[in-house]
Amino acid sequence: MELKLPLSLSKGTIRSLYKAGISIGFALLLTSILFLLTGANPFLAFYYIFAGAFGNISLAAETLVRTTPILLVSLGLAISFRCKVWNIGAEGQLYMGAMLGTITAVALGNTPLTLIISLFVSIVGGLLWASVPAFMRARLGINEVITTFLMNYVSIYLIQWLLAFPFRSPDTLFPESAQIPSSAVLPVLVPYTRLHLGVVIALFVALPLVHFLMMRTTFGYKLKAVGENPEAAKYGGINVGRTMLLALIISGALAGLAGFVEVSGIQFRMRPSLSPGYGYTGIVVALLGQNNPLGVALASIFLAAIFNGSTTMSRALNQPQGVVDFIQGVLVIFVLASEYILRYLEKKGVVKI
Amino acid sequence: MQNPLFFLKRSVEGKATTIQADQHPSSEYALYVKGINKTYPNGIVANRDVSVSVMWGEVHAILGENGAGKTTLVKIISGCLKPDSGEIYIDGKKVDIDSPLKAVSLGIGMVHQHFTLIPSFTVAENIALSLPLKGRLSLDHVKEKIKSVSEVLNLKIDPDARIEQLPVGLRQRVEILRLLCQDVKILILDEPTSVLTPIEVEDLFRMIRELKSKGKSIIIITHKVREALAISDRVTIMRGGRVVKTLMTKDSNESELASLVVEGFCPSLKIEHVGRGDPILLVKDLKVKGDRGEIAVKGISLVLHSGEILGMAGVAGNGQKELVEAITGLRRAESGTILIKNCDLTNNPPKSIIRNGVAYIPEDRMRRGVILTMSVSENLVLKNFEDPPYSKGMIMDKGAIERSASELITRFGIKASDPWITVNSLSGGNIQKLVVARELSNGASILIAEQPTAGLDVKASEGVHQKMMELKSKGVGILLVSADLDEIVRLSDRILVIFEGRIVGEFTRDNCDIQKIARLMLGAPV
Repeated sequence: MELKLPLSLSKGTIRSLYKAGISIGFALLLTSILFLLTGANPFLAFYYIFAGAFGNISLAAETLVRTTPILLVSLGLAISFRCKVWNIGAEGQLYMGAMLGTITAVALGNTPLTLIISLFVSIVGGLLWASVPAFMRARLGINEVITTFLMNYVSIYLIQWLLAFPFRSPDTLFPESAQIPSSAVLPVLVPYTRLHLGVVIALFVALPLVHFLMMRTTFGYKLKAVGENPEAAKYGGINVGRTMLLALIISGALAGLAGFVEVSGIQFRMRPSLSPGYGYTGIVVALLGQNNPLGVALASIFLAAIFNGSTTMSRALNQPQGVVDFIQGVLVIFVLASEYILRYLEKKGVVKI
Repeated sequence: MQNPLFFLKRSVEGKATTIQADQHPSSEYALYVKGINKTYPNGIVANRDVSVSVMWGEVHAILGENGAGKTTLVKIISGCLKPDSGEIYIDGKKVDIDSPLKAVSLGIGMVHQHFTLIPSFTVAENIALSLPLKGRLSLDHVKEKIKSVSEVLNLKIDPDARIEQLPVGLRQRVEILRLLCQDVKILILDEPTSVLTPIEVEDLFRMIRELKSKGKSIIIITHKVREALAISDRVTIMRGGRVVKTLMTKDSNESELASLVVEGFCPSLKIEHVGRGDPILLVKDLKVKGDRGEIAVKGISLVLHSGEILGMAGVAGNGQKELVEAITGLRRAESGTILIKNCDLTNNPPKSIIRNGVAYIPEDRMRRGVILTMSVSENLVLKNFEDPPYSKGMIMDKGAIERSASELITRFGIKASDPWITVNSLSGGNIQKLVVARELSNGASILIAEQPTAGLDVKASEGVHQKMMELKSKGVGILLVSADLDEIVRLSDRILVIFEGRIVGEFTRDNCDIQKIARLMLGAPV
């Protein structure tokens, strides 16, 4: 048996597609087994997931709404991972951006510039939060995996305290911020849905910009060179430390933006439960999209669909919602294994590239 | 015309018996390879109908340029690659070698150009790894085996020495010993001398002769005509993936082999020694630390003039690496100054040194010289991707990069089917050509060349030397760091000898004494 793709794409692209296909295929296979074990029909379950994500216009719009923060986070992570800087701290950076953006919006009140300034502050917030591990990495050589990850807790607990005391809204019982002024709200694009301007920011501003940055600029070249061979990059005159630092803080900036877009498009308040783990989902997405912005966009939609669809599925089949985390987990494993699986298939002659 | 001696078989004692040309491969051949074809997925035809025979107790050289298909052939024989078609016979029996493990079980083993030992393990531990062990690991048993094998062959080695403490020559010996412990009878050595000093080469050749006298067959891959002449009984010349000819070594000579390796080759390099210009590189009292924090460069001062080739002779590991890295900005200088064209550039970042016109061909091309997973085009602009025409502002111009790459690929004869293929699909020699092409074409006024022709074939070496001469006549100053004394003596206007981080001798062309240089390199009293 020989599988062949009918498109005329470059070898690297074909390999990436195969790897993504292998990862998704195996992840769904394992998920099917889980469904069988819990007594559900896997075909039915996947049908409900799909229907729940794309069944009608308003569901599809909800999926795009869900895609927005995931895409913004994972585009940033793609930049950082391309340079082999493993930013695991997008969750904390997202919270920090959201918190600072909200404080700014509430403090400014209704002005024509509230939205723009708050968005800008959220970007700076994520950037600053990421710059701590970035400097530790670039100047002191401290492994960024540990520092970025641990700073998630610092960020989230700090924000819980901020919301419980200094910035607690006077008119609610819960630890949450005051509502942001109406001029800081991202306008809704399609009436009777939650499809807000943030979707446009993610898909039609951030995505093309990141694509251009990675594929066409000298910075993109440096990212790749440092990621693939830092020794040769240094020899070629590239400032390796600075490139890594920039990669990490840019990913932090995009995570911060994702945080405030979520506040001003959906929640209208800063809450300790703002993100159901978008910062970690972004890691899965960046890996699955293989750090290619277009791949990352497709993977974001895919994971957003699973997020939304599994709610419908769990109601229809009385299944736990935790399947989302399960799929994400196995996806990571199979994305990491996909290179080896693909090589094995090539060796066996099943796949020819 | 095939040499009639092709059909002769020499036994261990050197007696010759005649074998019919089309006779079924008999057990008199240790190894008989017939009609091997191999095309790589990228379309490069590496082997075309290759047939080679090797006898017991024979040293068989496979001689050819880079990209002639030598390494592909032996990778097929040792099970690392699958041929598209062809047959392999061992002792007259047809075999199917589908993995390196199978090859070893059939008695074929290969020492790769890049060693495969674990540096932090001892000799015995490394060898134990490759032996079939059931249940408990008994290192004493392994040590005994090493001792018995090494005594028979008169190869001295300490089984408890850690690999990282051994010089390259001894590491290679461990690789060979490991194969012998696995009862390998046909040994393949891929470019074994490329990493060795002249003295270590002598040691290796002595070892090869010893192995031969014990009835082992040795296949040695080389691109150096002199080496093939010095060690082999027969030599097979390959060119463009085909076998050109197989000859009895003793009936051939250097110029015949050279002209077979490169069709119609005759060395044409004109070495001119013109007057030198002003000093362009001045190093003063430079002290540099090595990787383990030791002082590796202990106060070196030197002057390089424009239009001059300054040779630096020395055994690897005497501070050359650290000196070069300090000059190119890759390593911090502890003290001292480096003046480039009268600018103090001590401890400046690599970028500023490159901008000031210093080109550098590094010794470790795979790790430092190229980014294997990026394309040929991208690698060719590694040092000037931020300059026009390759980019304007921050935006890169793919078209300009591709045009320049295509031009360099043609000019330097890099075998790449497409400027956008990744470098890891090129052969080692072609990767070196790529580095040389990049460094020699960027209009530098100082060139630092570390082993610029190591691993290059005759024609390509000649090309690099030619290019260096051209640059020199244009006023470029070249610091040539090489362990190849022949190369240094041939090209240099002045020679410095480095030993243990100090310059221990200086020679000009007129007072150059090779014997004396060789002794100084080893720190022996003159």
